[in-house]
Amino acid sequence: MKHRILALAIAACCATLALPARADDATLKAEMDALRAEVAALKAEVEQMRAASAAPVATSKPAPAVNAEPVPALAATTAPAGGGVDSGYALGANTTLWGYGQLDYNRPTARPADARADLTRAVLGFNHVFDESTRVYGELEWEHAIASADDAGESEVEQLYIEHALAPNYGVRAGLMLVPIGLLNEHHEPTQFYGVERNFVEQAIIPSTWREGGVAGYGNTDSGFQWDIGLVTSPDLGKWDPTSPDGRESPLGAIHQELQLSKAHDLSLWARLNWLGVPGLNVGGAVFAGKIGQDTSKQFEGDANFPADNARLLLGETHVRWQSGPWDLTALYTRGTISDTQDLNLGFLGQPTPVPKAFWGGYAQAAWKALAWNQSSLVPFLRFEAFNTGAAYATQPQGFGTPALPTQRVWTAGVNYYLNPNVVFKFDYQDFRYDDELLNYGNRFDLGIGFQF
Amino acid sequence: MQKTITTTLLLAALAACAPVLADEAASSAVAALGERIFHDTSLSSSGKMACSTCHDPASAHAQTNDLAVQLGGPDLATPGFRAVPSLRYMNLNLPFFFANDGTPTGGFTHDGGAKDLVEQAHTPLLAAHEMDNVNAAGFTARLGRAAYAAAFRAVFGTDVFADPERALLAAEYALSEYQNTSREFRPFDSKFDLFLQRKIMLSAQELRGMVLFNRPDKGNCASCHTSTRQADGQPPVFTDYTYDNLGVPRNPDIPANADPAYFDMGLCGPFRTDLSARTDLCGQFKVPTLRNVATRHVFFHNGVFHDLKTAIEFYVQRDTNPSRWYPLDANGRVHKFDDIPALMTRNVNTTEAPYNRKPGQAPALSDAEIDDVVAFLKTLTDGYDPITNSADPARSARDVKRGDE
Repeated sequence: MKHRILALAIAACCATLALPARADDATLKAEMDALRAEVAALKAEVEQMRAASAAPVATSKPAPAVNAEPVPALAATTAPAGGGVDSGYALGANTTLWGYGQLDYNRPTARPADARADLTRAVLGFNHVFDESTRVYGELEWEHAIASADDAGESEVEQLYIEHALAPNYGVRAGLMLVPIGLLNEHHEPTQFYGVERNFVEQAIIPSTWREGGVAGYGNTDSGFQWDIGLVTSPDLGKWDPTSPDGRESPLGAIHQELQLSKAHDLSLWARLNWLGVPGLNVGGAVFAGKIGQDTSKQFEGDANFPADNARLLLGETHVRWQSGPWDLTALYTRGTISDTQDLNLGFLGQPTPVPKAFWGGYAQAAWKALAWNQSSLVPFLRFEAFNTGAAYATQPQGFGTPALPTQRVWTAGVNYYLNPNVVFKFDYQDFRYDDELLNYGNRFDLGIGFQF
Repeated sequence: MQKTITTTLLLAALAACAPVLADEAASSAVAALGERIFHDTSLSSSGKMACSTCHDPASAHAQTNDLAVQLGGPDLATPGFRAVPSLRYMNLNLPFFFANDGTPTGGFTHDGGAKDLVEQAHTPLLAAHEMDNVNAAGFTARLGRAAYAAAFRAVFGTDVFADPERALLAAEYALSEYQNTSREFRPFDSKFDLFLQRKIMLSAQELRGMVLFNRPDKGNCASCHTSTRQADGQPPVFTDYTYDNLGVPRNPDIPANADPAYFDMGLCGPFRTDLSARTDLCGQFKVPTLRNVATRHVFFHNGVFHDLKTAIEFYVQRDTNPSRWYPLDANGRVHKFDDIPALMTRNVNTTEAPYNRKPGQAPALSDAEIDDVVAFLKTLTDGYDPITNSADPARSARDVKRGDE
């Protein structure tokens, strides 16, 4: 029932956002015509530059989706109201260096002893253009300041892929890529989202930053559609640890492999379709589907029976984002299922974290650029999230079933202060429906610093 | 350190002297020698004790009697100091190390003092209270008279008996190969294994026991006795190879305990000496596998309990009913944790469930729930026969050996 209410709320939000567009078609058409003219002029300029120089043109855009999105819509559909200016540091004609950082302070109101200050992320990325149609793109990240055998930090390659444009509006990629699902996974720089921490739905249900290795195709159409398809590595259900809270915090976060000697017996498909045809509007959805058993049963001598070899993951997501004037409105819903978990969970009876067969989450968010001066802006926001990482479990013998987890609900109210579009200071307060010390869920104040270049 | 270097050099020398070991057939020949040594009573001063005397395959490679400690030496009258651990699944153990969080992990014997199965075989072959060969020369003299001495020479070199240290190490290596390669030491053929393989279903009582075993707020047994598969699919061995201090009551049936100044403190001594300065580890003993636990005749490192239900009752009632488990002191007060020096009692685990309770509180498991856990633990016995719904480790050993042939 609560589920349905959230879905209706999102639908209502979509409808509300769509109405003004229909009401003011003439104005929009005029704007579109003007934008098309601008694009044509820009294309002409590019052609002139190509003709004038034999050297390839290096892009300075750090976001991987840059080439996939209609240029006029980019800034308006991927960046918060106050930020998101493309940047980077050119290292010669063909290579661009970019990066971002995030520092957080969290203070639970009921458990001040658990207050933490953290250099959450330090990221360096590069974009190297081989020729007019081919580039390599990479993102290297350090989490929690120090990464060593004795420290809590992590050092990781988040993206590393080759992209080859087959035509101006479509191409292929191969390597380690971000899964194009949701609004945050591909655009996770701290200047790109509201609040000190990333929203819970796109961490607990969509395990941002989620990446897989494989091949993918991307493109866009003149009518404003953006599409992606991919054949990539799958999560590994054999990694599931029923004694750990990790699977309760994020079912897919507990089993994704991040191309770290990934078991690759089973592969998955992803597909995304967005419509960006109206400036400021991004409406669309994505699915990720595949087997995740990874043939684990064949890996241990004499005991050929991992009971979930045929388990399948299906994760779907739909979203709408409307950026108009000072407003930035977002709604997103996502739901995942894992099949064939009954026998696996039978072996986990009594353990704190069995494998869910269903998990979901959704949020609605409104941000308003209240003040803007020079390059600075002040953007208060309000977000409501509901999510459940164990919404249903496979049936077990009578008396031994696992009840669904309670749905967590979080209100977040705060403000992003953009010193300039690439440097942000954040403050927010988060109110949780229930405390969960193990997952660090509890009402808290957050402070944050973020930047990108 | 010096011992490690010596061992390494000797193993290298063995490899050089017997290049034939490189192939699988030779490895099998070494294991076959190990099996003969394992069962050979002539290798003891009494002529009546072999490895298998205390590690009987029919008893899941553990003791067959109810003694807290076994009797060895020339007349089989010299008592030992600790209960006999089962050798089943021991080859899956890890070398001793401290985990990143400082937790002592792995190692062989109750205190992890042996780094591998080769070292583990050393003490029983020589110790005065066991096979009593005293030293390498004593052992080698007996080994040289064994019926399989010629085969031993063929594998390890014709001059192997000329160097007693080398011969002793070769015998220990052969014993480790036997344990490493023979599936009778790791059959994974219990009722629980068949359940994990979806071939049978556990009874309702066994399932209830499994839930209670796993639940962190009830038995919490799985927090040390891991009950889930490893990432590579290996079935659970029911130990995380760590150490714990449970404050097990002193056992007056161990003759050494007649001396009130004597304490067996596991990791910090007296048998293990490299961690004697780590007084925080005093009283910690290795978490054993619970596979075949229902076949054990005695429980815990000092064999203080003689049946499984009592052992579980101790876990859940140690802190709620301490008077049941410990004697009274001179003042009439319960002398809790009486097998640890007074200053070391702070090392006892009193924080985790089910120990985190006080006298008068209800135990974490009721009597009926303990029966359920016992029923579940009985599913961990090797050699399960679905037709008769019974398990027998001897059947397991026989079937595996037949399969190996």
